[in-house]
Amino acid sequence: MLVMGIESSAHTLGVGIVRDGEILANERISYNVGSEGIIPSKVAEFHIENVSKVIGSSLRKAGISLKQIEGIGYTRGPGIGPCLQVGELAAKTIANKFALPIAQVNHGVGHIEITKHIAGLNDPLALYVSGGNSQILKLVGKPYPHYHVLGETLDIGVGNMLDSFARELKLLPAWGSSVEREAKGGKYIEMPYTVKGMDFAFTGLLTYAKKLVGKVSNKDLCYSLQETAFSMICEATERALLLTKSKELCVCGGVAQNTRLKEMLSNIAKEHHVKFGFAPNEFNGDNGAMIAYVAERLIKSGYTSKIEECGIEQRYRIEKAVVP
Amino acid sequence: MSEGAEAKIYMQEIFGERLVVKERVKKEYREASLDERLRLARTRNEARILYRAFEAGVKTPTLIGVGRFSIYMSYLEGKLLRDVKKSPYLLRQAGILLAKMHNADIVHGDFTPANIIVSKNSVYVIDFGLAEISKSIEEKAIDLLLMKRSLNEKQYKVLAYSYAKAYTASSDVFRKLAEIERRGRYQIRTLV
Repeated sequence: MLVMGIESSAHTLGVGIVRDGEILANERISYNVGSEGIIPSKVAEFHIENVSKVIGSSLRKAGISLKQIEGIGYTRGPGIGPCLQVGELAAKTIANKFALPIAQVNHGVGHIEITKHIAGLNDPLALYVSGGNSQILKLVGKPYPHYHVLGETLDIGVGNMLDSFARELKLLPAWGSSVEREAKGGKYIEMPYTVKGMDFAFTGLLTYAKKLVGKVSNKDLCYSLQETAFSMICEATERALLLTKSKELCVCGGVAQNTRLKEMLSNIAKEHHVKFGFAPNEFNGDNGAMIAYVAERLIKSGYTSKIEECGIEQRYRIEKAVVP
Repeated sequence: MSEGAEAKIYMQEIFGERLVVKERVKKEYREASLDERLRLARTRNEARILYRAFEAGVKTPTLIGVGRFSIYMSYLEGKLLRDVKKSPYLLRQAGILLAKMHNADIVHGDFTPANIIVSKNSVYVIDFGLAEISKSIEEKAIDLLLMKRSLNEKQYKVLAYSYAKAYTASSDVFRKLAEIERRGRYQIRTLV
């Protein structure tokens, strides 16, 4: 089955095409967030201007025409309303025109499932870390197959925290990788560390680090911030790993691009003799392929929606999404 | 005996007495100075709270001694509440345990059936690794929330009822709990 997926939950607009699980195209374009961050209406405008173009380039990449598409999926949420609406509208238009089955995909499910697929994992404990989300999840069967949240951030996503701090230091976007680069060779200074069971919180750490700007070198600050935040996540993940007795661990989402985080997790996995996997960065950043991949499975399992049922949900909790 | 995420727990015989040793082991993944700071602070904190719990009449293993990264405790023969039938009697006892802790301003931090030992039909709370001394209603509510997430509705009600009867400030805690559950991120966090 040939399925197109459209992702537009934040500043990246992505269109992917899959055929029976094989990724044929994964094209994207990102709004330049500059120094001001994401302004919803501006980003939505950017997506509207570019959506046809990116759909076109993904079709060319896959070497097919729009008419050949047999099903379509888009991100229902979570994400920024005006941005999500662009993907929703594009998907509905195409579905309507060619009478295609349409599937609504949860963004987080997309990240985890594509990672499992690419890394060849069956039933991993999943750490999903991005700008807006930081969660530890495991697939459960009841009352319907879905991702159960074992632990998560109690305030902001770890990516958001790193971004805010990078802006404070006036580093250049992409901020997460700027912090990582800056952190190289830093010295550790003590910072607040907040873990509650398998949950964690970042705002205390962020405020503390911001207060030290100018008093301590940027290098040491970035290093210590990153080490502290990732140690918190890793501690919670290790606890969840032992609790669930998982034999596999994966990391996904934007922050999964960070080498240091992957190094720490792989260390934990090794200690507990657990298989550790992740996807190439192309799939850790927001992308359309993951939406197409999940949409294909949803459609094949009969989880399609009528066009009038399709919508967006800014706070679409991952527990609510059926995982086929 | 077991290897937790944080510490390894093993048995040691000293003067013919069986002791449980909880030793916080070095974590290779994290920065050495952060690692040492966490292990040292947590060992001390745990020992202090274990003793405070004992003073407050909370059933726990008895604190025997403290090393740099190790705590020595008396050995309790029994099973985890997680692994036994959660009878109303045991759940009521668990509710009273939590009430006594909260009365003494001890918040456990990981109050789940996996941290309660049932020994001779009596319940004991273990693992004060994440515990704190705190008057915070929020922290107390989170203790209750963690337990609520690990029980079914009926079981939770039994526990909550005995907790409410035994802890004078419980109405504030329940109010806070409801507030936490209303917060966006938790609205439909599912139970397993």
